[in-house]
Amino acid sequence: MASATIEQPRRKRRWFGGREGAQRRFVSIVLSPALAYMAVFLVLPIGWAFVLAFFDFSPRRTGSPFLGLGLDNPFVGLEHFARMFDFSKTAPLEVRQFHTALKVTLLFAFIVVPLNLVITLPLASMVESVRGRWKVLYRTVFFLPVLTSAVGVAIIWGFVLHPQRGLLNGLISRATGKVTAIAWTTDPDLVFLGVPIALVAIIVAYLWQDIGYNLVIFIAALQAIPDSVKDAARVDGASAWQTFRYITLPLLKPTILLASVLTMISAFQVFDLFQVMTNGGPDDQTRALSLDIYESAFRYQRMGWAAAVSVVLFLLVFTISIVQSRFLRANWEY
Amino acid sequence: MTRRFRRWQALGVALLMLGSACTFGADEPGDSGGSVAADEPVTLRVWTHQNKSFNQGLKDLGAGFEAANPNVTLKFETFDYDSYIQTLQTALPAGTEADVLQMFGTWTCSYADNLAPVPADVSGLADAQSAFFEAPIGGYTCDDTLYGFPQEFNIEYGATLVNTDIADAAGVDTSAGWATWDEFMADAKALTETQDDVITRTGYHFTSADALVYSFFSLILQGGGQFLADDGASFTIDTPEAREAVALMQSMVDEGIIDPELFNDTANWVGDCYFEEACSMGLIGPWVVPEYSADFPEVADATKYVALPTLGETPDFVADSGWGLTVSANSPATNVAWDFVEFVTLDPENAAAWNTATGTLPALRSNGEGATQEQLIADYPHFEAWFPLLQYGQYVGNLPDRDLLWYEIAYPHLLGVLQGTESVDDALAAMESEANDTFR
Repeated sequence: MASATIEQPRRKRRWFGGREGAQRRFVSIVLSPALAYMAVFLVLPIGWAFVLAFFDFSPRRTGSPFLGLGLDNPFVGLEHFARMFDFSKTAPLEVRQFHTALKVTLLFAFIVVPLNLVITLPLASMVESVRGRWKVLYRTVFFLPVLTSAVGVAIIWGFVLHPQRGLLNGLISRATGKVTAIAWTTDPDLVFLGVPIALVAIIVAYLWQDIGYNLVIFIAALQAIPDSVKDAARVDGASAWQTFRYITLPLLKPTILLASVLTMISAFQVFDLFQVMTNGGPDDQTRALSLDIYESAFRYQRMGWAAAVSVVLFLLVFTISIVQSRFLRANWEY
Repeated sequence: MTRRFRRWQALGVALLMLGSACTFGADEPGDSGGSVAADEPVTLRVWTHQNKSFNQGLKDLGAGFEAANPNVTLKFETFDYDSYIQTLQTALPAGTEADVLQMFGTWTCSYADNLAPVPADVSGLADAQSAFFEAPIGGYTCDDTLYGFPQEFNIEYGATLVNTDIADAAGVDTSAGWATWDEFMADAKALTETQDDVITRTGYHFTSADALVYSFFSLILQGGGQFLADDGASFTIDTPEAREAVALMQSMVDEGIIDPELFNDTANWVGDCYFEEACSMGLIGPWVVPEYSADFPEVADATKYVALPTLGETPDFVADSGWGLTVSANSPATNVAWDFVEFVTLDPENAAAWNTATGTLPALRSNGEGATQEQLIADYPHFEAWFPLLQYGQYVGNLPDRDLLWYEIAYPHLLGVLQGTESVDDALAAMESEANDTFR
């Protein structure tokens, strides 16, 4: 059968006229403020950070009239990134601090993410199994810390862990009948299973504040699982544990992926707790990348170096998020 | 959405980004400064950091200047401390700063390219050096050129806070001071309280960041050493004098006067520690007393400063340069700006009025003696121990990055030694190498 192409009369596109034009105008007007906001406060700073990473830039120095780049803020190409691979003992201080910060951040993130999931998932299941008003009460109580200011949380935990006036040492003193002044956040010799206690203290504070967030996500996901699926399992003789293990958990896989990616990203970004509770100490044992970037950029004005470190942090979060997605991806829906 | 619409959007975004980005562009600094005729109306912008008494003291003097110069209007603009640093760092290279800039002396030389040198008719370098104490004027002197004048003497080392109530209760008499470090340590030990082998009140707190670093560098000077080469371009920190300084500080830890794990910058910072009476004595400058007096009036009443013993013949100490005033090289009225700075800083009466209003030690030598000194001591009794020391202050030097040296290099290593996590050899070698890296 022969086919014939019927030439359609070409419609003249009118940008500003007619109904289509009105729609475009409406879309433009509605989107412009948001786009302008994103361009100025999101795209521009990110782009600027990527540009700065290739310059030895400091706002203290006089650059060229074009964005302050050049002259005393010279283009250095990949030099910042190359220096990051200098693992010798004589490497510059900022490079060694970057290595420490990277180690601390990875340690923090890889402890916090599984711990968070291990705590929140069963807790969500337990809260979900509660009936009536108690469920609302539990949900509220667990979510309340999320609403608290992170700086406030850091100050309160700092008070709890203060060597002399702290609640924790006070309790230990009461229990033992001896004055106890353990420097939880300032003694560099205090280590538990290779993890500095100061870092453990920040992990505890972080989890205390953060678990409510994932808890709500998991509760919502648990509520979305159809009762019929669980009922069918029970009819087949599955115990509560077996139902959770073989029915609930697999069905929660997409939610676990979401929660773990979000927690991982947030763990890499934590700044307030590190700065207020320990300010990187003792002996740089809690110097996280976010704190390292802040110190380099705003305290010592090494903007180019700080931008390069932030690019590394971005790539790190991006890569880990991709890997997590690959591992935890589910190919089905219910 | 059509391709054309996306193009418009992309163009809009690009224009916005470019527009915003161009605000970073800088004019060439120092090319627009000038002077105005004597009676021409002038508005001078004055930038300062936010500090109630500092700002009010300057405004009061400003009112006097405006009365004497009716053609001049002063416009004060204040910034919180952190914002002020960042504003100076970005505004000066961009050439958008005010006419008169309050400056912490130690920062001055890093901005010298954008500041106006002091005109010869206001003061020559030699005259300024004889008029001001060495430490405060040192910060305003860059390569033998003067860029401003200090208003105060910023001092952190030389005398220690003493809680006389605690001393009296312990039967320790500090009124005569201490001739030797052994005498001092014996009293500090007597003022230390322990329970179950835990120090509950330290006898002498010197392990906060500033206290420890100022102690270290000052003790090096007292021992006859130097930490900065004559040309100011390299550090020599791994020296016998430095070892002697560390040994003295270590002996206080060994004596059980202080536990640096419980008392440091993060836990029990010296100001809090002293006024909360967890420290009997503490090393910090006199600025801390008015800061805490309102909240801890009883401790403030029982507070006095007593001069520390020295390692050598004279009580030499390292000091930063204090707050003062500079003039922007971009100011269109530099002559009027200098008139104002001269009025505030070089006139002894006005300078003393500002010190009285702010509770700061004078930078002018003439205000550090005689009737002005007596008046300042009458107003601020805790100043008494400091006046005899001022002549021994040595400016810390125009370092490439003073904060980096203080807080990222010297403090962590010194604290590491006292906490037992680093050997003296390693710490001094690392400090010297890292400090010299800052000259890169």
